Amino acid sequence: MKAILVLLVGSGVAWPQIRMVERPSRAPLVDFRIVFMTGSAYDPSEKPGLAALTAALIAGGGTRELSYKQLLDAMFPMSGSVSSQVDKEMITFRGSTDIHNLEKYYALFRAILLSPGWREDDLRRIKDRSINNLRVGLRDSNEEELAKEVLYQTIYDGRPYGHHNSGTVSALQSMTIGDLRRFYELEFTQTNLVIGIGGGYPAGFPQRVKQDFEVLAKGAPSPRPAPPPRSVGSPRAVLIEKQTRSVAISLGTTLDVTRADPDYPALLVAQSYLGQHRASGGRLFDRMRELRGLNYGDYAYIEYFPQGMFRSDPEPNLARQQQIFQIWIRPVPPQAAHFALRLALFELDKLIKEGLTRKAFERTRSFLIKNVNLLIKTRQAELGYAIDSLYYGIPEYNSYLRKSLAKLTVKDVNEAIQRHLRTDNIRIVAVARNCEELKNKLLSNALSPMAYNSPKPDDVMEEDKIVERWRIGLKPDSIQIVPVETVFE
Amino acid sequence: MTRLLPTLLLTCLASGFAAPAPEKVFPFPYTQEDLPNGLRLVTIATGFPNIVSIYIVVRTGSRNEVELGKTGFAHLFEHLMFRGTPRYPSEKYTSTLKAAGANFNASTNTDSTVYHVTFSKEDLDTILMLEADRFQNLKYSPEAFKTETLAVLGEYNKNSADPAEKLDETLQATAFLRHTYMHPTMGTLKDVEDMPNQYDYGIEFFRRYYRPEYTTLIVAGDVNRSRVRPAVDRYWGKWKRGSYRAQIPVEPPQEEQRTARVAWTGPTLPWLAVAFHAPAYSDCDPDWAALNLLAQLAFSPNSDIYQKLVIEEQRVDRLDADLVASPDPFLFTIAVRLKRPDYLPNVQLQVLQTLDNFAASPVETDKLEAVKQHLRYQFTLSLNNTEAVAAAAARSLRAERSVDTINRLYDLYSRLTPQDIQRVAGKYLGVNSRTTVTLIGGQR
Repeated sequence: MKAILVLLVGSGVAWPQIRMVERPSRAPLVDFRIVFMTGSAYDPSEKPGLAALTAALIAGGGTRELSYKQLLDAMFPMSGSVSSQVDKEMITFRGSTDIHNLEKYYALFRAILLSPGWREDDLRRIKDRSINNLRVGLRDSNEEELAKEVLYQTIYDGRPYGHHNSGTVSALQSMTIGDLRRFYELEFTQTNLVIGIGGGYPAGFPQRVKQDFEVLAKGAPSPRPAPPPRSVGSPRAVLIEKQTRSVAISLGTTLDVTRADPDYPALLVAQSYLGQHRASGGRLFDRMRELRGLNYGDYAYIEYFPQGMFRSDPEPNLARQQQIFQIWIRPVPPQAAHFALRLALFELDKLIKEGLTRKAFERTRSFLIKNVNLLIKTRQAELGYAIDSLYYGIPEYNSYLRKSLAKLTVKDVNEAIQRHLRTDNIRIVAVARNCEELKNKLLSNALSPMAYNSPKPDDVMEEDKIVERWRIGLKPDSIQIVPVETVFE
Repeated sequence: MTRLLPTLLLTCLASGFAAPAPEKVFPFPYTQEDLPNGLRLVTIATGFPNIVSIYIVVRTGSRNEVELGKTGFAHLFEHLMFRGTPRYPSEKYTSTLKAAGANFNASTNTDSTVYHVTFSKEDLDTILMLEADRFQNLKYSPEAFKTETLAVLGEYNKNSADPAEKLDETLQATAFLRHTYMHPTMGTLKDVEDMPNQYDYGIEFFRRYYRPEYTTLIVAGDVNRSRVRPAVDRYWGKWKRGSYRAQIPVEPPQEEQRTARVAWTGPTLPWLAVAFHAPAYSDCDPDWAALNLLAQLAFSPNSDIYQKLVIEEQRVDRLDADLVASPDPFLFTIAVRLKRPDYLPNVQLQVLQTLDNFAASPVETDKLEAVKQHLRYQFTLSLNNTEAVAAAAARSLRAERSVDTINRLYDLYSRLTPQDIQRVAGKYLGVNSRTTVTLIGGQR
């Protein structure tokens, strides 16, 4: 949006400092969704994680008037809370209240965002939490999400998108209250702000909220970080050495197509066909899990989708200038890891070369046209999607998508696949034990035949003969083995 | 609500409480009725437009796994239910749901298996037919069975990275010696690995438990009973009632405290779990409800111990207490994640002192009222879309098989006093009922 904002200011068009997204209804609840169009891409290079730590302290610390303990006491009877989410270009604060508590809740919500307490003891607690999320939550306890997060770093290595949103342990340890306050003053500005309010609030309430938030610095449009380049060159792999029962794999690459691109609906069809998130019926799911029993599930994405293990729907307000294409292979037994990786790439290659059949296209499109109605089911989601549409400069998501899908042809989809999806620049991340052995298998292009616990149809056995020798194209200097204890440090 | 079914627990409602009933916490009009075959139908008009959620609750979970070597079967069966019927093989089943743009999935816990599907209202008839077909005519090949057991092993493998899973597993195995709550819903690794050899038992499991008398069908959203009931009669009315009743072993009273230690090989933060045998869920007898209020009073973010350990001293980064609404007596569990292993003795002492304090004197009335308000708002704030309403109704059926229990429980909360809290702290949280499990990881 900042790119658009600069254009408008440059051409003399007045742009309101704070943008409002209002969704009034008769619901007995009021939802707040406050988005600052800034994020971890704006972290100073020596302080990765500053945006996320700032947001976490605001949402999880006291205010100028109230200690965090007092705040929890005041929120508790209302079951009130404020949560934060940080991505590369958006920082989001969410909160909801029963209409009966609106005034009491809003007074606290406003103080949390506009009068942070900036206390050292709160920072110490929030830092510990952020470090433990990286070390314990991801590294020690969750191989699937670890593989995904390392993939996101690997895709953008060395660029503004190239660090985990929470940063690194050493950078987090070095950050001071002064660092956080400076980030807040610079980035939490009226220019960056979109206020989303939905539900049964009284007339004039959004205007009051807007006036309250005008205490923030006006701010100037800050230059956006240069868009990260496409992943180029040959395939690369990062193997994370960890004592595990199974091997968690994610693979992907950058994708220039965002919701603002005319090819977005076509690629959404391709994504849904290849692997609709956490649903059966996707090509990867059917071929890898249902038919071969390789694992618990296999999915594909054309947008960044963090926390996929815990969510059935994507969270809004993760909008970016550049997106990713990703395949998530859930943990497979070590002896099947090479084959599973090959099979996923085989299916991607097949999709690129052959495209969807007309029947598959029609089926997938009609699924999406109806399924989009389920996507935006809460007022929070409605506000979030509306703010994303503002960022991308597209109409309201639901109707935009339905209209675009209705106009699509199978030719459009298959041509878009050819234009945007590739296997030769893929990045692969696997969390496994005996990475050296896996590396040798990948490099030697050794056969990886499968043995099943029940007979398979002839066509599957024939297909396996192709898959078991599939060439991934990794070279010795394109595979890196990383001890798990060094990740995010 | 329109009441079509006589309330079974009228005696409970007339049990001597004088306070007027507050506003209903579950605000949606609903009907609840039984078909002649025993299937229970709950129809909820949520007021949210266009969308319908169907939740099918089968009251069988790992609690029903009474035979040796068969742990994890309820969960395996959740997977098998997607393997198709003669009329709708799995591919056709999935493509029919996809054509409706539906979201669908399932989950299993100790007491129930829940299947859910959400879609646009014009597809209601199709989905009711499709779901009725698989509940009555499920049929899969031995090959498909074996392949599905590998997906379950994959699920076990993904979960195995999380030390909290191991903590729970050890806690249940230590606190229960006879009841089936002693084993995890996922099953033991040994049993999961043996699943490919258990095709015949799979058929037996379906025959026993996938019966109308075990099942409640929740249809929620942009619906009304006059359209739903005839379709349910048409598609679900011929489903045959069964006769199997599992003999769930009764857990004998625990007579002395138990402890266990988990040695976690990788680095992780230490965990402490302290659990006590608790009563089965009831919306009538005050004990379960009082213990649930106590869990909040003693360990929620505004409790004294949370504020001391998490916010002031910062020795702990996770602290909560949990009481499952189960049909048989389960556990009141306090789980704590500590920042250092040497904090363990002191933190454990503070947890136990907190419980002793609640047994020694009654809690302040305003604190109790704050917890009651918190629980009400927490519940009502969650009811913000059709799927969430249907899911809340499904959760309520875990122990009671009546959605009426939601409003009855919150009515019961409203009548509980500081003396009730003190009484249950003394009655249930004694040393002989206690099981303590610690988990210590390797050094970083």
